[in-house]
Amino acid sequence: MISQYYGVAPKGDLMLLQQLCGPLRKRRFLHINSTKEGGGVAEILHRMIPMLQELGVDARWEVIKGDAVFYDMTKKVHNSLQGDEETFTKEMWDYHYEINRRNAENLDLDADAVLVHDPQPAPLIQFRKNGTWMWRCHIDVSNPRRETWDMVRKYSEKYNAAIFSVSRFAKAMRLDEFIVPPSIDPISEKNRELSAEEIQDTATRFSIPSDRPVLLQVSRFDRFKDPLGVIKAYRMAKKYNDCVLVLAGSPASDDPEGEKVLNEVRQYASDDPDIRILLLPPFSDKDINALQRMATVILQKSLKEGFGLTVSEAMWKGKPVIGGAVGGIPLQVVHGVTGFLVHSVEGAAFRIRQFLNNPEMGARMGERAREFVRNNFLITRQMRDYLSIWYALENSGRRTLEL
Amino acid sequence: MSQLFDFRQCITLLKSTGSTAKTLAELRDRIGTISEPSLYHHTYQYFLKGHILEYTNDFAEWAGQNLEERELAEELSNVDPYDFPDINELREELLRVMGLYLERFPEPRETRRGEEFYFNETITLVFPAGVRAKNLAEFLIAVKYVDRSCLYYHFYDSRYRLGGRVNDFSQWLADSVNKKELAERLMEIDPFVHSLEGIRERIVSAIEAEVRFDMESAGVHHEVREELKRDMIAAGGRP
Repeated sequence: MISQYYGVAPKGDLMLLQQLCGPLRKRRFLHINSTKEGGGVAEILHRMIPMLQELGVDARWEVIKGDAVFYDMTKKVHNSLQGDEETFTKEMWDYHYEINRRNAENLDLDADAVLVHDPQPAPLIQFRKNGTWMWRCHIDVSNPRRETWDMVRKYSEKYNAAIFSVSRFAKAMRLDEFIVPPSIDPISEKNRELSAEEIQDTATRFSIPSDRPVLLQVSRFDRFKDPLGVIKAYRMAKKYNDCVLVLAGSPASDDPEGEKVLNEVRQYASDDPDIRILLLPPFSDKDINALQRMATVILQKSLKEGFGLTVSEAMWKGKPVIGGAVGGIPLQVVHGVTGFLVHSVEGAAFRIRQFLNNPEMGARMGERAREFVRNNFLITRQMRDYLSIWYALENSGRRTLEL
Repeated sequence: MSQLFDFRQCITLLKSTGSTAKTLAELRDRIGTISEPSLYHHTYQYFLKGHILEYTNDFAEWAGQNLEERELAEELSNVDPYDFPDINELREELLRVMGLYLERFPEPRETRRGEEFYFNETITLVFPAGVRAKNLAEFLIAVKYVDRSCLYYHFYDSRYRLGGRVNDFSQWLADSVNKKELAERLMEIDPFVHSLEGIRERIVSAIEAEVRFDMESAGVHHEVREELKRDMIAAGGRP
């Protein structure tokens, strides 16, 4: 399995992975999260665990079990950590702990290193048997509700280390805090190379013309993704350059606003035959991949964003990206190097025109974008970082570790 | 008997210090107190990024891009960390530049929320690149193809490790293959003004000239050899 990444991931990352697996060989590495399917964490773990095993690490993945009351509460915790106002009672927090206690009775927590993902299973630290425990926070906690964070912190500070996706999310805590950005899997259905026939098949099914430039934004129909702003920018650019706009997204079942925003977008697009609004069913990974590969320019004109990994997915396809300068997007789009950052509809329109009139510049930035993702945002780098943190924690206090 | 050059490369694990700054005054105050590893990360280690950004250290980049204090960004960019034998002298210089600027512009604006400066530090993992060279020709081929982080480790990081202008490459060239002049020429390459790929080009070019000279002068009498060297220097293809 790891051999599939040779020639794709940076050689240095693969070498370091193998060398770290010397000292960590046959050591037990347990990952715990709250869902086996759906979401970026599960997606990455499905790939990462077998690869770690192949490299000789005794890796395991456990999923905690809860009921509807538990998941309803943890969803609120998630939202509240992202800044939404939610109300919690002492009973709710007690139940959160109780579900984790019950899980701890049934899970084998005996391992040399344990990586607990997100707040749902965070209280498991209370049932630690041995080993190095790391808490991985995938959520944007840059502006959380204080009371909610204080409750989560009660658990997270008991770990040996916490891991956040970007510096902005880290907190002043009494433990080591590492920064590990999320990653994409270059050989997954969403990112693998596609044949010309596969791309054409998607284009035909969605009636996307191949004789004109295609602008694309892939995102949920959510105000923070600014789909109306994208249409406005497209209209401004279209006065000068003929092009097609594709807005592709999946309906979010947990977002009641989604339907409303989608209707607004449809209404605003009116009867423009060159705007395609695609409502893709879940698991449309191959179609999204094909849409990105046929696009001329990809937009992620978000007004608020977590990390915005769709940007790296677009960049991996060698496409120039126009991204809103929010959340994790500036970490991926280096302005003027791997794409353009914009702060307004006008900015997006101007950059679209630049790319449409200057295909060589788009190709050049797209190529740099792909290399930037290769060096920074592939799954092998994330694996390398997790193992390195474990190794560093076992050699605590040293700034330079020689392998 | 020459020693093998064992190419090594490195990665860095980023760690948050929990310290932040939202104004220039706060940035200056924190620079005065942050740990040496954090100061090292935001200045010396900036070169690992490969010069794709506008300025030459994280402080300048933040002042220029987030606070739009471009004059200060330029002044901070002009501070060359390799000019200072001790990291705390670099700290003093950064504080001096910021102090002068703040005297002239005492109340610059605060950054937007979420765009504060985040002080980080790193743990560096060093590991073999799986490439070894036993002579100049092998060394040349290796330098052409090794990872950028390998060049960073041996050319940039080693200056800090070894002190002064010495780097791992020059040390090996002088001590193991008796190429003292070439070693000196590599030390003359300014680490501050080139990208990692620019550094690679210059190192390769210097070694290629040396190898070419060695080939052309093999078996030639000493005086002729010196004359050949003078001709090559005159033609721009030094050694």
